[in-house]
Amino acid sequence: MGATAELTRSGRRARSGRAGRGRYGWLRGVGIGALLLWSLFPVYWALNTSLQTNAQAQGSPPTWFPTHFVFSNYEAIFGVGPSSASTAGGVGQALLNSSIESLGATILTLVIAVVGAYAFARLRFRLRGFLFYIVLATLTLPVYATLIPIYAILTNLHLVNTYVGIIFVYTSGFLPLAMWIMYNMFQALPASIEEAAAIDGATTLQIFRRIVLPIVRPGMAAAAIITFLFGWGQFIFPLVLSSTNSTQPLTVALSALAGRHVVPYTMINAGAIVAIGVPAVIVFFLNRFIVDGIVAGSVK
Amino acid sequence: MSALSRLPGRGRAVKSQTIRRGAGETALPYAMVAPLLVFIGALALYPTVKTAYGAFVHNDALDPPNHFAGFGNFQDVFNNSQVRDSLLNTGIYVIFGVVLSVGLGVFFGLLLQRKFRGRGIVLALMVLPWALPGVVEGVIWSWIYDPTFGVLNSALKTVGVIHNYQLWIGTHQLETIFFISLVQVWQITPLAAILVLASLQSIPSELYEAADVDGANGWQSIKRITLPLIRPGIAIAVVEGLVMSLNIFDQVYVLNAGATTGSSLMSETYQITFGNLNFGDGYALSLLATVTTIALSLLAVKIIYRKVEY
Repeated sequence: MGATAELTRSGRRARSGRAGRGRYGWLRGVGIGALLLWSLFPVYWALNTSLQTNAQAQGSPPTWFPTHFVFSNYEAIFGVGPSSASTAGGVGQALLNSSIESLGATILTLVIAVVGAYAFARLRFRLRGFLFYIVLATLTLPVYATLIPIYAILTNLHLVNTYVGIIFVYTSGFLPLAMWIMYNMFQALPASIEEAAAIDGATTLQIFRRIVLPIVRPGMAAAAIITFLFGWGQFIFPLVLSSTNSTQPLTVALSALAGRHVVPYTMINAGAIVAIGVPAVIVFFLNRFIVDGIVAGSVK
Repeated sequence: MSALSRLPGRGRAVKSQTIRRGAGETALPYAMVAPLLVFIGALALYPTVKTAYGAFVHNDALDPPNHFAGFGNFQDVFNNSQVRDSLLNTGIYVIFGVVLSVGLGVFFGLLLQRKFRGRGIVLALMVLPWALPGVVEGVIWSWIYDPTFGVLNSALKTVGVIHNYQLWIGTHQLETIFFISLVQVWQITPLAAILVLASLQSIPSELYEAADVDGANGWQSIKRITLPLIRPGIAIAVVEGLVMSLNIFDQVYVLNAGATTGSSLMSETYQITFGNLNFGDGYALSLLATVTTIALSLLAVKIIYRKVEY
């Protein structure tokens, strides 16, 4: 953890002056420039396209920078304004669906994972090791292993085309990683504080709620953010599990929009920017937690 | 630790440090892990068993009734030329995906190894593609790749690399797979870079200083110190890339749009199951893919992962 905390802190001086800058300093500058171009250009291009008229977007040479901002594409996909047609529209509902499904899955996953991980990390009970490895083993299961049966199970339970169905499926998929991240966070805590509280007569639940949870809040933030981003990006499960607009998230709605071949690319890119907006804001402001979470969830 | 380790059976290692419970709390741990186990059991383990079982049952909505089929479903899928194409394609997706994402990840990791002004911001911007939905990435790249108005064509023509606008996707198999794979590489490279970077951060700087004193140049210290010591990070990055590319679907669904040129194992499984409604064959392919994913992941870890000591 120490390594990543240091890693995400910006600025400060190079480790050793000579080796740090030296002859190859400009080379690193070029490399960083290439990294930024590679990482950002596609998103920039979608944003640029979404702010143009269709005629402008099809012009040659391309318009590299938007000269005047056109918002009609955004109006159209949200079903407002003069150019709203039956071809597009409905992005508002999809945005709401994505938010409900991702947030619902995040809250449910986090509560279950934190409670379970604490028991695995700190309490002793029979079959602890066995049950722990069973949960962890499901981390390795690819989508293939569960997709078709989950479709069958949810059909039988009449949970297809419902928020609850999708939230349950997401939760089951994200739980192992969230549990693993939280387990590593709990393991990293010194047990002495909890022991002292136990000696003073605090019950396990009191220790968990009053002492442990406040300390692992950054870890919970990391697990929550990663879970939310996974939920936001889901595609094949909601594609199979939601056949109507009422529960389709942005990913499914956008692929339908793009697959129709009559919706102009400027509108499709506006839809893409709507879907990009939420994760982009999260990455920019909460990046530290993401890096910590990735490292905590994969190393060891 | 000291008070705890005197209790019988409580003092094994740091790994198993546990806290004391009062009387009447014996049921508590089970209550705490129960919701976890219910979800995992009902929507991960039970479905997996069902997939393994379903692979051996004839289950075709257009050809009822269901009956035990032995290896019949497997024969079906291997006799299907589209499945064989998708298997080959997936192999190519895996090679492109792993090599490019890990290669770029190591490169980005090395670029960000040393502190410089603004590194935190560069790191945040680098992570962005990882956080975006694969489908959305497919959508924005398909506009970049557009054969008539795409910026890739227009830029390459301006620079003189191509003379005529190209149809990047849908004509040549290898080219199609490369350009679809590139979109996934764009998504998963940040993950590889972060894993490599985390390994890089744990290398003590004295090693570089010692090499510096001994007169090693930059490339020599990368080759002799850095690369061997970031093997654990690379191993995990390889496994992540392997699993992601074996499962590639979103980008294929959007960019390949039903054509067979760039079909993947997952898109073929989806087509057979939810398009043709042949659930038995879908289960057989799913079981094969599941076993392959897990086996290759374990193999990659075994080959690449070595514990490092400084």
